[in-house]
Amino acid sequence: MLKIRNLRKLYGNYHALDGLDMEIEEGALYGFVGPNGAGKTTTIKIISGLLMPDAGDVEIDGIDALAQPYRLKEKIGYVPDYFGVYDNLKVSEYMEFFASCYGMEGLTARKRSQTLLEQVGLGDKLDFYVDGLSRGMKQRLSLARALLHEPVLLVMDEPAAGLDPRTRLEFRETVRELNQQGMTILLSSHLLTDLTELCTDVGIIDGGRMLLTGSVEEIIEKIHTSKPIVITVCDNIQTALSLLKEHPLVRSISVKEQEILVQFSGSGRQESQLLTELVQSGVHVRGFMREPGSLEAVFMQLTRREEERVVLSYDADDESGL
Amino acid sequence: MTLMTNPVYKREIRVSSRSFRLALVLLIFNGILALVALLNMYSMLTQVRVTAEIQYSSFLDLYLFVAVLEFVMLVFIMPAITAGSISGERERQTLDLMLSTKMTPMQIVMGKLMASMSTMALLIVSSFPILALVFVYGGVTIKDMGMLLLCYGAAALFAGSIGVCCSALFRRSTLSTVVAYAVLGGIVIGTYAVNQLALFFSRMPGGAYLVSAGMGTGEGSSGGFLYLLLLNPTATFVMTMLRLSGREAAEGRVTQWFGTHGESFLSRNWVSSSVVIQIIMAAALVWVAVRAIRPGKRFHK
Repeated sequence: MLKIRNLRKLYGNYHALDGLDMEIEEGALYGFVGPNGAGKTTTIKIISGLLMPDAGDVEIDGIDALAQPYRLKEKIGYVPDYFGVYDNLKVSEYMEFFASCYGMEGLTARKRSQTLLEQVGLGDKLDFYVDGLSRGMKQRLSLARALLHEPVLLVMDEPAAGLDPRTRLEFRETVRELNQQGMTILLSSHLLTDLTELCTDVGIIDGGRMLLTGSVEEIIEKIHTSKPIVITVCDNIQTALSLLKEHPLVRSISVKEQEILVQFSGSGRQESQLLTELVQSGVHVRGFMREPGSLEAVFMQLTRREEERVVLSYDADDESGL
Repeated sequence: MTLMTNPVYKREIRVSSRSFRLALVLLIFNGILALVALLNMYSMLTQVRVTAEIQYSSFLDLYLFVAVLEFVMLVFIMPAITAGSISGERERQTLDLMLSTKMTPMQIVMGKLMASMSTMALLIVSSFPILALVFVYGGVTIKDMGMLLLCYGAAALFAGSIGVCCSALFRRSTLSTVVAYAVLGGIVIGTYAVNQLALFFSRMPGGAYLVSAGMGTGEGSSGGFLYLLLLNPTATFVMTMLRLSGREAAEGRVTQWFGTHGESFLSRNWVSSSVVIQIIMAAALVWVAVRAIRPGKRFHK
């Protein structure tokens, strides 16, 4: 659905994008994650046809997005990190205005607007002035606007920033439903907690480069196997250590009282085999578990910036991100 | 996409037609014109009572006076309407939303400019009854009115496109409005001042040098700087008014402005040439505005 190759963008001497590669499969819900200034918004603006890169290729649904920007706009639905509303237009007028921007007029525009407004839960707000809507309602209106022309790729730039927890959950459900209906979605955020639950794929960007990308399962698996197994034994610690030393998948061992920390590069099945071998060799195992790993930990490791750590921990507590 | 199907134009017209602001502007604009016209009529009638003499030329003066006032107001209102058009969209963060749709930058700029021109047309049309007061006494033909309208239209388009261009180039509406008025002031006052200065220098004792440099004609004139006035909507309007009042032969010959100049095609067809040049300038300013908001090629202050 979306292929980006070696994308570069310079603002003066600052490399906003420095050879970004990215690929999104059809039907994916792709979480685009990175700290502030990582290049997320620049990438999204290029994808949406609002900015031209200095170099690189962008292909969306088989279309060269840079060569055919107006065909691209039929394919993309763009939800920015702001609302962009006209205070003197009613909700229905706002939707019909943007429908006409896509060439829809009259009854077609009205019907499409009403359907979408009902889908996002604003069906009863047709005659309300846009300016009078709450923040959450404005965000849902923004989503409905982006869906007017039935895009194949929905691009959302930090859509849930500043929403309260309930609205955020409702918004997340709406996004999930859209994805389940087959829409490919690119969702940017600098928060990971909820993206891991919502997205099928994740890409971590920093300094204008893609640091890590893949399906959430793959990344979680990578994180998981990088964490040590903590084995707590009651006795026979020497037997356990000699068995672990001989094991081909064990990379390192450290001991702290009755706890053994083992760097083990095997799969879940191989982990259970290791446990069986320990028990069969007469070691009384009281505890056997991987240390929990998180996407946040990897993110922090990949994007080492002290200021971002503060922002991340604050937002996670505040639950203001998606 | 025609003007009537341009979404920006339609939205602007819809919003402005139900706003209190437009009604207020119409009221103030026509109120001032009507007040001036009625005071003028009252003064003429008082004169008749005192002197028992009817000066029919005074009725033509009434028309000229109202037309001049209307022109001044149009030229001053147009940048105010247009200078916030695109920067306002940027401030509301709706410009990117429009550019992310199938709307082209040209459609957005033209929608904005034409909506402002429509507002201006509404002001002009609504003032017709006041201008038509002169028909009670005669002296002005429909052709004269047509020329005046053409002059108004060209001036409004030129002033409007300056506003739209500044609005596209500058991020803030306040700055854009200030620059638009400065540019318009520069054109209106600047071209006059340059001619006045050139005339002054050409009449100085060292004028012979200036004459040899091609600036003067020997009798003292602003030389080629005269043609800068083709850009000046006020000069076009003055020329139209002089023709209308029948004073063209005495004062309205362009070749007699700022010294004596030789006849040329441009001086013989001053009004039509200046209207064409101002429309070309307006088109160039629209092109700059389109370039300024085109994705990837933005330039903002």
